[in-house]
Amino acid sequence: MAKIIVVTSGKGGVGKTTSTAALGAGLAMKGHKTVVIDFDVGLRNLDVIMGCERRVVFDLINVIQDEAKLKQALIKDRRLENLYVLAASQTRDKDALTQEGVEKVLDELSEQFDYILCDSPAGIERGAHLAMYFADEAVVVTNPEVSSVRDSDRVLGLLSSKTRKAEKGEGGVKPHLLLTRYDEARVQKGEMMRIEDVEEILSIPILGIIPESPAVLRASNIGAPVVFDDKTPAARAYQDAIRRLEGEQIEMRVEAQKVGLFSRLLGRTA
Amino acid sequence: MRSSSAQKSAAELCAPTASVQPLQIRGRFLTAVVLPVPSALDEVFEAGLDAALQQSPRFFADAPLVVDLAAAGEMETEEAFKELLALLKARRLSPIGIQNATAHQTVAAASHGLITLKPGKDTPFEQQRAQPAANRPVAVPDPEPAPAAAPVPAVREPMGTGLTITEPVRSGQCIVAEEGDLTVLASVSSGAELIAPGHIHVYGALRGRALAGVGGDTRARIFCQSLEAELIAIAGLYKTSEAFEPAVAKQRVHAFLEADTLRLQPLR
Repeated sequence: MAKIIVVTSGKGGVGKTTSTAALGAGLAMKGHKTVVIDFDVGLRNLDVIMGCERRVVFDLINVIQDEAKLKQALIKDRRLENLYVLAASQTRDKDALTQEGVEKVLDELSEQFDYILCDSPAGIERGAHLAMYFADEAVVVTNPEVSSVRDSDRVLGLLSSKTRKAEKGEGGVKPHLLLTRYDEARVQKGEMMRIEDVEEILSIPILGIIPESPAVLRASNIGAPVVFDDKTPAARAYQDAIRRLEGEQIEMRVEAQKVGLFSRLLGRTA
Repeated sequence: MRSSSAQKSAAELCAPTASVQPLQIRGRFLTAVVLPVPSALDEVFEAGLDAALQQSPRFFADAPLVVDLAAAGEMETEEAFKELLALLKARRLSPIGIQNATAHQTVAAASHGLITLKPGKDTPFEQQRAQPAANRPVAVPDPEPAPAAAPVPAVREPMGTGLTITEPVRSGQCIVAEEGDLTVLASVSSGAELIAPGHIHVYGALRGRALAGVGGDTRARIFCQSLEAELIAIAGLYKTSEAFEPAVAKQRVHAFLEADTLRLQPLR
């Protein structure tokens, strides 16, 4: 039986898709058979971040509507043999996503995989609801700023009430907080919320703190999940998060992006 | 009729039975309504009572009723109590006892099965009590002593069962207590809303909105461990965070109404 994990946030642009790709790739690197599913029907992005956008033939909606077999729609990653991608449809309407269809696909995937990562669209509408509905655990991606924290809080409320686990009285989905785009310097200047403040408001355990890093953007642009480049603090932070997701107890560390001498002279951070 | 059934079962338990079995007698607190009555049961009293019943029928439904005799010094005969009980029962009220009674009243009421209760400290009729010390019954010649299992404190409100929430209340959630108090053992996030006809207690930070006394009860209060609320309201009177004094921000605070003003005070 696979563990179904939804990566969600409520707010857009906080790093859900980047984190799904990084966590998925990281789990596969550790030998777990992993599939990442894009639930953002109409605005697919996960395949781009995973670097397989040219290989998408069939997608999630095709499988739900029995136009393709699951095997045909699963895209095998070229770099990692344990990693698969199930893309969203670019052209279909998001109403094509049905609860029964999603359940059928997840049941079938559960038989073959160790981890199923569902990349939720932003918002709390149908796509986001179905992405979280069947989940066992949730990674709530949050930026250290007020609107993101509030949206995450809203999503946590839905995770504890509007999911299969909650409806069956099994205590809701187990949430983890993934704090992304964290910038220690901006926290010092009072431009960003402190970790403790976010933790206090959301009151869920922290899975990881991903520092703001140009490596993340670079990784997205070249279609290689950020964990592949393990020289960057962001990659190390994701690797720590993955070990915690596996159940390991490790100390939280916050590494800042190192600023080189030349960058400093030029007054830039990248 | 929770009170009467509780008493009845307790009375049955106390009755001697053929086979001796260990009994499990349990204490029980319940909420009662206190009705102050005048010496003479005139039309003005009846009209006032009817008006109150019409205004809030659920307030009285099924609630045990205690008759406050502080202002009814002359009502001493058994006939007077018979008349009073008939009047109350005609309105489907459930009188169970009296408070602030004289020794004569205690005897007269007992003949109709009404028990004598000590007045609760915070009954709202304190100022009207003529001679509270002299009026206290010395002895209670009750032929049917109230079973120990059912102490009936003269509580001022039919608070019902209330609602207790143990999980954090998240942004966008709205928790409504249908009756009584609302107690939250965790934090209430901004964008969340608490609504209760009675008090609201928050044993975490209160960052959302809290509306107590929504039925119009001006005695309702709001208590919290850290006041960071967006809005608090009691019986429709509200204050937003901008109107909070800086001294109460992030403090342990309770809010209450005083002379139609919503006041916030740090808890000591």
